[in-house]
Amino acid sequence: MKRRAAVKGLLIFTGGLVLLPSCMLERDKASVQLKHLEVSGDDEKMLAELVETLIPTTDTAGAKTLGLHKFTLKMVDEVYGEEDQRAFQDGMAAFQKQTKKQTGSTFAECTPPQRQEVVAAVNAGNAAPEVLAFYKIVKDQTILGYLNSELVMTKLRKYELVPSRYLAYYPVKAAKVTSNG
Amino acid sequence: MANLNVDSVKQRTFDAIVVGSGISGGWAAKEFTEKGLKTLVLERGRDVKHLKDYPTTNLMPYEFEHRGELTREIKEKNPVVSRCYAFREDAMHFFVKDEEQPYVQEKPFDWIRGQQVGGKSLLWARQTQRWSDLDFEGPARDGFAVDWPIRYKDLAPWYSYVEKFAGISGNADGLEELPDGDFLPAFPLNSVEDYFKKQLKTQYGNRHVISARCAHLSKPNQIHLDQGRAQCQNRVLCQRGCPFGGYFSSNASTLPWAERTGNLTLQPHAVVQEVIYDEKAARATGVRVIHAQTKDVTEYYAPVIFVNASAFSTNQILLNSTSHRFPNGLGNDNGLLGKYVAFHNYRARISAEYEGFQEYATDGRNPAGGGYIPRFRNLHQQETDFLRGYAAGFRADRSKVEDKSGFGAELKKQLLNPTWGTWKVGSHMMGETIPKEESRLSLSKNQKDAWGIPLLNISLDYDANDDKMVADYHAQLEEMFTKAGFTNIQKTDSKQAPGLDIHEMGGVRMGHDPKTSLLNKYNQLHACPNVYVTDGACMTSTSTQNPSLTYMALTARAVDHAVRERKKQNI
Repeated sequence: MKRRAAVKGLLIFTGGLVLLPSCMLERDKASVQLKHLEVSGDDEKMLAELVETLIPTTDTAGAKTLGLHKFTLKMVDEVYGEEDQRAFQDGMAAFQKQTKKQTGSTFAECTPPQRQEVVAAVNAGNAAPEVLAFYKIVKDQTILGYLNSELVMTKLRKYELVPSRYLAYYPVKAAKVTSNG
Repeated sequence: MANLNVDSVKQRTFDAIVVGSGISGGWAAKEFTEKGLKTLVLERGRDVKHLKDYPTTNLMPYEFEHRGELTREIKEKNPVVSRCYAFREDAMHFFVKDEEQPYVQEKPFDWIRGQQVGGKSLLWARQTQRWSDLDFEGPARDGFAVDWPIRYKDLAPWYSYVEKFAGISGNADGLEELPDGDFLPAFPLNSVEDYFKKQLKTQYGNRHVISARCAHLSKPNQIHLDQGRAQCQNRVLCQRGCPFGGYFSSNASTLPWAERTGNLTLQPHAVVQEVIYDEKAARATGVRVIHAQTKDVTEYYAPVIFVNASAFSTNQILLNSTSHRFPNGLGNDNGLLGKYVAFHNYRARISAEYEGFQEYATDGRNPAGGGYIPRFRNLHQQETDFLRGYAAGFRADRSKVEDKSGFGAELKKQLLNPTWGTWKVGSHMMGETIPKEESRLSLSKNQKDAWGIPLLNISLDYDANDDKMVADYHAQLEEMFTKAGFTNIQKTDSKQAPGLDIHEMGGVRMGHDPKTSLLNKYNQLHACPNVYVTDGACMTSTSTQNPSLTYMALTARAVDHAVRERKKQNI
């Protein structure tokens, strides 16, 4: 807490210069400003690898590059209700613990095949209920963030702000894929 | 000094004052200024200029911090307005927040307000169906409220008049219960909507699905281009304000038109406290206005005053306009001001799926929102154990679905290569509710708002007639869906509070008799004829149609009357 006050003081001292070198970030805190959730730097690393395992980098960017772990944290912290936030919080701890028990290391330290093994089990429903609740929230938000990302909406499944048409009988064979749903 | 005062009074004197700049106030402004009257429009909210003040209009979904969602903090602070479907991240700046203007819910009522220049005309659902005599004759035939002092023939030319200017898309459907208008081409029904239309025709004969008539420029005429508007581009992001002026709003249409005449003075941040009544002259002389921010009080004067503050706010202003002559509110000799308010029953919905028409989907977006089912219950005579009936929306959608079951590269592939799902169909009910004396508005005796104006008490509820209608809607629509071969039918009753329909009406109703109504057939207060009310407050009954088009027609007609009466020096 003192350290945070000191950092704040420094910011004021430098005239509000908002360039915070990463070495000054509290090591045990997430890089996203959170009001309701308690998320450590390690938790954030885990989330980054988890969303990347869900939507990996292939010939196009994956979830970690798109920052969807941060997006997930922001949405859970600012949009979700209290109950869901608790479920997220508890489930995150349970997921960390389960991974450690299963692999002997943290999720972030796991090799990609190890991570896939952990996620495969959870995705198939083989985990404690609190882990499943946490996983569902992360997966939902990762998918939402991905489908609503600039990359997808401008390059991969184009969203048309101005369609300028309504075709009421559209032959399905000619359909091209867009984000307009 | 004396001269200064005279000048000041002169500067604050106009030929007409219009309270409110929403859908009906905008029309009053246009009509008065076009007829050459120096007109003051008072709006309690901030100014919103077409194009310039639509901050979110061109944002992509990923540019919204929460991808369109409301934050928990906003929802907790604004439980009422957060229940409105359009109060989302892209348009929440056009709604009144709960704490900004409190009111007293004697019974639960979700009062959804849009207070800025343009009012709710920026936010409306743009559905525009005419009334017929089956609606105007309802109260007289079925013995509730009072008889409407007008019939369809009185309003028909004015419907045409406003439709031509606003731009209404629709088909000539030839239905007695929903008269045809002066339409731009309709937005078409899709394969499943068309199929349902044909099914109903075959199975029932007298039940219809039509392309919903809506205030969108499907194919603009010169008069629309002259307003600076262009063809609707099917964005269906209307609630943000439209950069093309593709749908009708005061901001895109009537207000800039009025401004171009040089006769318009638009005053935002102007909270109207009351209409001033001059006991000696025995007429209303102006309005007293509190500046929303500075709280400075100013009086403005005009020989004609139109109160178009939105249905319940108009009631509030008139109830608060007390004088020796009118101790209970302006024009309120019979004690009925604020009473007989009503709304539309939007509680019920039904959804289903359809396996057919796999060869078709839709492409682009439909601004009309799909089909409209005009009222078919109790149309020509009483047939059910409830009074009146309901209209319904009907739409079919087929969207692409992603298989989200997996993870990893496989999930990513699925998300980027969605497949067409099955058709989903859905309908919502728009039920007429019966205005009753116990459904009423009044002023709080001990609570005031930030401007010292008594809060509005709202006491309005569903009754047994509404519950029966919900049950009938569910039963009838289920039968219609079943006959059409729709499957997986789901019925819901949201039990939402009145108000969320955003069709509250009445309290200053029209009627023949000053003993039982407040307004005459030209929307003049019986007891103070230089004051007109042409927004939702004037409605004697609600029928089932979305009411805005009727407000527009009543307003244009009333201004025409007021100007003629002024010339004859009758008011």
